[in-house]
Amino acid sequence: MEEHKAPVTQSFADQVRAAPGGDHLDLCFSCGTCVSKCLIQQKKEPEYNPRRLLRMVMMDMREETYQSPTTWLCSACDLCYPACPQEIHISSLIGAVKTLALEAGYSSPLETVSVDESLCSGCAICVMSCPYGAPHLINKEVNGEMDRFSEVDANLCMGCGVCVAACPMGAIARPGVANADILPQVKIKSKKDVPSLVVFICDWSLRSVEDEALLESYPTNVRVIHIPCSGRIDPQLALYALSSGIDGVLVFGCQPGECHYKRGTYVSECKISLLDKMLGQMEVNEGRVRFVRIGTQDWGRVRNEIDQMLKDLAMIKEVH
Amino acid sequence: MVDAARHPKITIKTYTNVERVEGYVGNFKVQLREKARFVKRERCNGCGECVKVCPIDIPNYFEMNLAPHKAIYIPMSQSVPLTYTIDMDACIHCYKCVEACGALEAIDFSQEEKVTWEDIGSIIVATGFNHFDPSPMTEYGYGKFPNVITAMEMERLNNSAGPTTGNLMRPSDSRNPNRVAIINCVGSRDKRFNPWCSNFCCMYALKNAVLLKQMNPEIDLTIYYMDIRTPGKGYEEFYDRAREMGIHFIQGRPSLITEDAETHNLHIHSEDIGLGKVVEHEYDMVMLNQAGVPQPDVDTVSSVLNITQSPGGWFMEYHPKLRPIDTPTDGIFLAGACQGLKDIPASVASGSAAASRSSRILHSDEWEIEPSVALVWVDRCISAQGKQCGLCAKACPYNAINVEVGTAAEVIPAKCHGCGGCVAECPHNAITQKHFTDAQVLAQIRALLAENPEEKIFAFRCHWCSYGGADLAGTSHFDYSANERGIRVMCSARMDSDFIYEAFRLGAGAVLFSGCHPQDCHYITGQRVGATRAERLLKTFEKMGMTPGRFRVEWISAAEGDKYARVINDMQKVIDSIPREQLMKEIDTLRPQMEQRSRRMYETPQINDAVTYSDKLTAILTHKEGQDGGA
Repeated sequence: MEEHKAPVTQSFADQVRAAPGGDHLDLCFSCGTCVSKCLIQQKKEPEYNPRRLLRMVMMDMREETYQSPTTWLCSACDLCYPACPQEIHISSLIGAVKTLALEAGYSSPLETVSVDESLCSGCAICVMSCPYGAPHLINKEVNGEMDRFSEVDANLCMGCGVCVAACPMGAIARPGVANADILPQVKIKSKKDVPSLVVFICDWSLRSVEDEALLESYPTNVRVIHIPCSGRIDPQLALYALSSGIDGVLVFGCQPGECHYKRGTYVSECKISLLDKMLGQMEVNEGRVRFVRIGTQDWGRVRNEIDQMLKDLAMIKEVH
Repeated sequence: MVDAARHPKITIKTYTNVERVEGYVGNFKVQLREKARFVKRERCNGCGECVKVCPIDIPNYFEMNLAPHKAIYIPMSQSVPLTYTIDMDACIHCYKCVEACGALEAIDFSQEEKVTWEDIGSIIVATGFNHFDPSPMTEYGYGKFPNVITAMEMERLNNSAGPTTGNLMRPSDSRNPNRVAIINCVGSRDKRFNPWCSNFCCMYALKNAVLLKQMNPEIDLTIYYMDIRTPGKGYEEFYDRAREMGIHFIQGRPSLITEDAETHNLHIHSEDIGLGKVVEHEYDMVMLNQAGVPQPDVDTVSSVLNITQSPGGWFMEYHPKLRPIDTPTDGIFLAGACQGLKDIPASVASGSAAASRSSRILHSDEWEIEPSVALVWVDRCISAQGKQCGLCAKACPYNAINVEVGTAAEVIPAKCHGCGGCVAECPHNAITQKHFTDAQVLAQIRALLAENPEEKIFAFRCHWCSYGGADLAGTSHFDYSANERGIRVMCSARMDSDFIYEAFRLGAGAVLFSGCHPQDCHYITGQRVGATRAERLLKTFEKMGMTPGRFRVEWISAAEGDKYARVINDMQKVIDSIPREQLMKEIDTLRPQMEQRSRRMYETPQINDAVTYSDKLTAILTHKEGQDGGA
């Protein structure tokens, strides 16, 4: 008698369990630490809930999981992982769900960056800078000749803008925070006795409503510009601000390990502190550009830092 | 404590370390180091005149460092004995206390620590537990935010004998808090710190909440929890009472505490799982209900007493369900939380049980030991010939064997539990075990394999698990091959590799090596000794070129009758799949190799003669007992 083998069907939960880190899935006892730790839930999407997503995976709710915003919005910042009492690597579980969803034909609903091929030189700096491995080089025929271009995988891009800051040609843009959007905002009518200051603030580093309200209340000599990640800040922006007569530039980013886009804050802090040193060598006063880390428990620190910066700038102004 | 101090038959030695423990059940010798108090215990009457004049203030550890004590102090007013002690790290030698003590002359700066040896019949370990320090959990800000306090600090703050005389105050501004939150499972049920549930903290949170609510009915109290565990008698009713009193409960583990820099009020961020929403509430004060952790010096205590630890650092009991008070070392018992976290009723019960178990020892003139203890052939032990060996002592789970180069290994019968691990491990056949001598076991193997050995499946089973498994398979009428022949030894550690070779040498079709699952071993680590040997044998047979499956290693518990039957049937299939001639031929080829490997066993005199050997053994044992004078 011939044996008929039934096709082995793996349940959705088993597929996720098979992914790296997936063997911890069943350890979750729904304490909710990850949910209250998550910044996306606080700032963007109140329905965002990793705990519920893990629960849905455990209960084999395939379609509901694919449609959940939690699957698509997680930027793998891993704030939840060190807080989880069961040591579940939640972002890798969500990543596994996302991969399965992409295989099933779903696509990311996020707003992502786009490459202007007429400017792109194919240098691959964006490929190296991206924390998510979204850009890659492609060969394409243009006017009968093969040429290299960067292409961004819209399903991997989380929209941090680190590549926008990195691109030497200005070929990459993200809607809302392209150079064309930011540069017109860097404009302050400077007064002689009052120092003027541009504040770039990473939206994720602002943790309390009070701090957000405070930023609205500053007088005209302080211009606050919201950006998706401090990694978006390009030294050129700071130089543009200084050369247009503004006295100082202050960049707020997250603590290392708390960056919403893995390493955006690290990249930015390196660039800004290097720029500060270079300005010193160019006989411009050091201290005109500054990077400040804001941690999860640093409530009210934004005000202190801005006040301190204004005070320092006033001193510099007085001397010169 | 005071009652115990007054009891004529109880001596309390405080401020004293146990340095060394020697001997065995009923005959322990214990070295004690009594530290110098610099106050004579027999003279001091606890009047406290010295405290009034002492100029030095140091933090009082009993008050969780919330209040000071002097350099000459007692930790609390109910201290036993009521004798003051001078903290020499803080004392400035002004001798004002000596003046104040006056004619009593109780203070003696020349006192030195005393080392004494005591004869002890049995030992009860009641070293308790420690509290988890929540400062590594930066998300809760303990140590950074003044109004985040621990459970023990709360205990002192709401205690009428405490530093605030029971008036609950916030550390930041001494104001009475109106909104207090309690966070449960701080450091427990948390794989980053301590994976266990600390048992008593749910009830402790409820007790504190009810207490605070009774002191101030206006207070707004919230308990953050993951699960409320109230399994004790009357505990669930107490939980109901707390809910009826208006205490709030939020299910959800807080991920973050932030502080308002001006008011020092605290904001707790957590998910409210009942609502499915993230919530942030403001409180005046937050109490962290910390985990219980083992004492910091458990390693020292366990090496001094020679008792083992379970994972996490709790002292190990003989059997987690059946003998939770006993340690593997006879005569040493565990009481309270040092064995594992317990609440008060359970600690009292285990303390009483430990006391009654030790009194059994103290009131008996004779102590029954295992009949199957190990014995050393002094003339065969190579340690006596000045060579390094000690394999027997390494295999012993009870530390019952002393090995010193130059003299033969010595087994302390009162400590030996008769697993036979040392007997099988000794490469020179210099140790034997009563009732399971090599000769006796070999005689059984030879008798069972006398006829048609190539058809037989020979099973070695350990007394406590696999033998029970085989028994269950029989009483449950599970079908398994009738070719199975098995013998019983006390532990898989006793399954000497010589026995396995002997069974194959006689032509056995297959051999099963079975014992307890690692965590179930009756002899603590006996299974591990057996398992290491079994793995080595598996490799040896593979190298020899024996058909895989003829030698099989399985861990079968007494409840796994079906597994025993299945394993035997599997082995039958292996034998059936090989032609009989080939089975016999394989043994014929391998026999010289196996004989070479168990060569020492054949060379050992008298090994084959079961009767004379047993007689000799009994003679040795009686002689030994006579010498020791009935130890």
